[in-house]
Amino acid sequence: MATPIPIPAEVRARLAGLALSGRGGGGGFGQHPSRSRGAGLEFAEYRAYTQGDDPRRIDWKLYGRSDRHFVREAERDSTLEVWLLLDATASMRQADSARPDYSKLDAAKLLAACVMELALRQGDRFGVLALGGAAPLRIPLGTGSRHRDRCHFALAGLEPAGNWPAADRVVHLAEGIRREALVILLSDCFDDGVATLAGQLAGAGREVVAVQILVPDERDFPFRGGHRFVDPETGAERRVDAAAVRAGFLARFAAAREDLARRFAAAGIRLATFVTDEAADAPLRALFGAPRGSGR
Amino acid sequence: MGLGFLFPLGFAALAALAVPLVLHLVRRLDLVRTEFAALRWIGARTRPQRRVHIERPWLLLLRLSLLAVLALLLAGPVWQSPAARGDGGFIAVAPGVDRAAARAAAHAEEGEWHWLAPGFPAFEEPQPAASVPLASLLRELDAALSPGRPLHIIVPEEVAGLDGERPRLVREFAWSVVPGRMAGPSTGKPASLRLEVRHDADAEGALVYLQATVAAWNVQRPGCCELATASSDVPVAADATHLVWLAPISEDVGRWVERGGTALVSGVAGDEGEPLWRDAAGRPLARVIARGQGCMVALPGALEPVDLPILLDADFPQRLWRALAGSSPAPTRAVAAQAEPLQETGTRHGERRDPADARPLDAWFALLAAMLLLAERLLATRRRRGETA
Repeated sequence: MATPIPIPAEVRARLAGLALSGRGGGGGFGQHPSRSRGAGLEFAEYRAYTQGDDPRRIDWKLYGRSDRHFVREAERDSTLEVWLLLDATASMRQADSARPDYSKLDAAKLLAACVMELALRQGDRFGVLALGGAAPLRIPLGTGSRHRDRCHFALAGLEPAGNWPAADRVVHLAEGIRREALVILLSDCFDDGVATLAGQLAGAGREVVAVQILVPDERDFPFRGGHRFVDPETGAERRVDAAAVRAGFLARFAAAREDLARRFAAAGIRLATFVTDEAADAPLRALFGAPRGSGR
Repeated sequence: MGLGFLFPLGFAALAALAVPLVLHLVRRLDLVRTEFAALRWIGARTRPQRRVHIERPWLLLLRLSLLAVLALLLAGPVWQSPAARGDGGFIAVAPGVDRAAARAAAHAEEGEWHWLAPGFPAFEEPQPAASVPLASLLRELDAALSPGRPLHIIVPEEVAGLDGERPRLVREFAWSVVPGRMAGPSTGKPASLRLEVRHDADAEGALVYLQATVAAWNVQRPGCCELATASSDVPVAADATHLVWLAPISEDVGRWVERGGTALVSGVAGDEGEPLWRDAAGRPLARVIARGQGCMVALPGALEPVDLPILLDADFPQRLWRALAGSSPAPTRAVAAQAEPLQETGTRHGERRDPADARPLDAWFALLAAMLLLAERLLATRRRRGETA
């Protein structure tokens, strides 16, 4: 099926072995009161009736046996809510010098498409939130291939621009994300606001995983000779002899990444790094792959 | 021997050397623009790289040399031949001077010794025998030698080959006179001519005047003229050079003149030719008409005082001699002391440059510039390709 964001066939094939999962594994989100009585209902426990419980939930057969009111609690496989949080700031325009037409945002869109494929296969609901860009993009939760296509089209039109929005606006946008939702952050994580938001979301009970998207240039710094490096977000520029600053850059950049990883780890955020010359399923495999094999 | 420059002001173009230097220094700052989101981790301290650093030194060297060659090209490079820059003076010895006397006159002076003869042969060569145009050679020498080079002229007491103008030299020169005598052109061999006269019956009266004229010539230069009178139906001798035709002009006479003869012809009307003699009123009495290789002195009327009043003048024989045999040659000999060239003071010889002794090198320098340009382009484009790769 042709979609605006094509997923390479081999990536799609490797996605088959992956499953999105929330915190704790096993997909048990039993604390959610179920609003539907589906076939997936599974008995969990009885508890005493308390005031305020819906009388319809009282197990009348047990009442007949024990003369006490018990409420039958159901543990069910609740569907996972997946939020794709995309960074669409100008810094995501960064492309590799070897592949100048493939930006970080393009990589983020591909990752998002992969996640949507996984969610679609599992029947999970997913939504898209893109910050930065011309205007914030928010596609509410939904499921089904039509919803997937809608997300695809919206993402395809997304262009990197602007800066990360101020913290108060971000919080407002993120409020729509329910607790226990899986938030997949696709960003270069260069902006401090990104990490702050991720920390806030994680602190507020959302399961946050982050994929830091880098280009090979940032990993290898292959430049030689004089360069005028320009920050796409701030417009700041730095004129340097690339070979002279390479070692310093690599050291500082590695330190910054370690710092980020520590910060995320402290906030309970799993972090994967995706360099755009790798296969798109690699970060997803790192986040949702084999070590967490208990699966569903 | 060496490199010289006709237009040293062209070296001002060397100032253009600053352009690639500045370009190579400034272009370093005008660097490849790279969008780089991870900018903040590029060390800030390395930013102002003020160390003088020249990009692509070989390319810069090529460009500098290209500009330098162009500036040299502007300056008009010439290769000065060895003869023009000898340290010693130029010693010109006129033919007719004894070698030993010449050596003595120059006091064994350092310099190049040459005969003052066409081509200026070296002094070691045999003495030129033929007469030489001395004044003309002096002028040529003055023009050909590099400015400021001293000239020593050694001439015999009696010089020949002069002309109407005393030579004027722009340089310092020494004029040494030693005993001797220059061979000169013979001062006009005693011109003798054989005058063939052809007349018809009507013109017999004119013969008297001709005979009188010839007699006058012979008084002045004994034996210089011989008169051969015959009727007009007698053919003209083949070796005759001068003819007096006193009969109606015929085709034969015209053809004879065209072969190189000189003829006095009577009874030729018309305006053809240049007036030779005029009467008091300015009317032409005779005309000179060029015909082929010869010429014709045409009289409108007969050779009679009626038609030609000057026939009775005392100087008519001389006039006719000049018309037929040409004037006597101008004197070319003089006493050396009197014939010393004049020093030209109006011209500053330092400013005069003579291209004759300098071979222009423009073509070579242009070729060099073209090759440098080619190399520069090659290097520039190759490096650029290498950078993007």
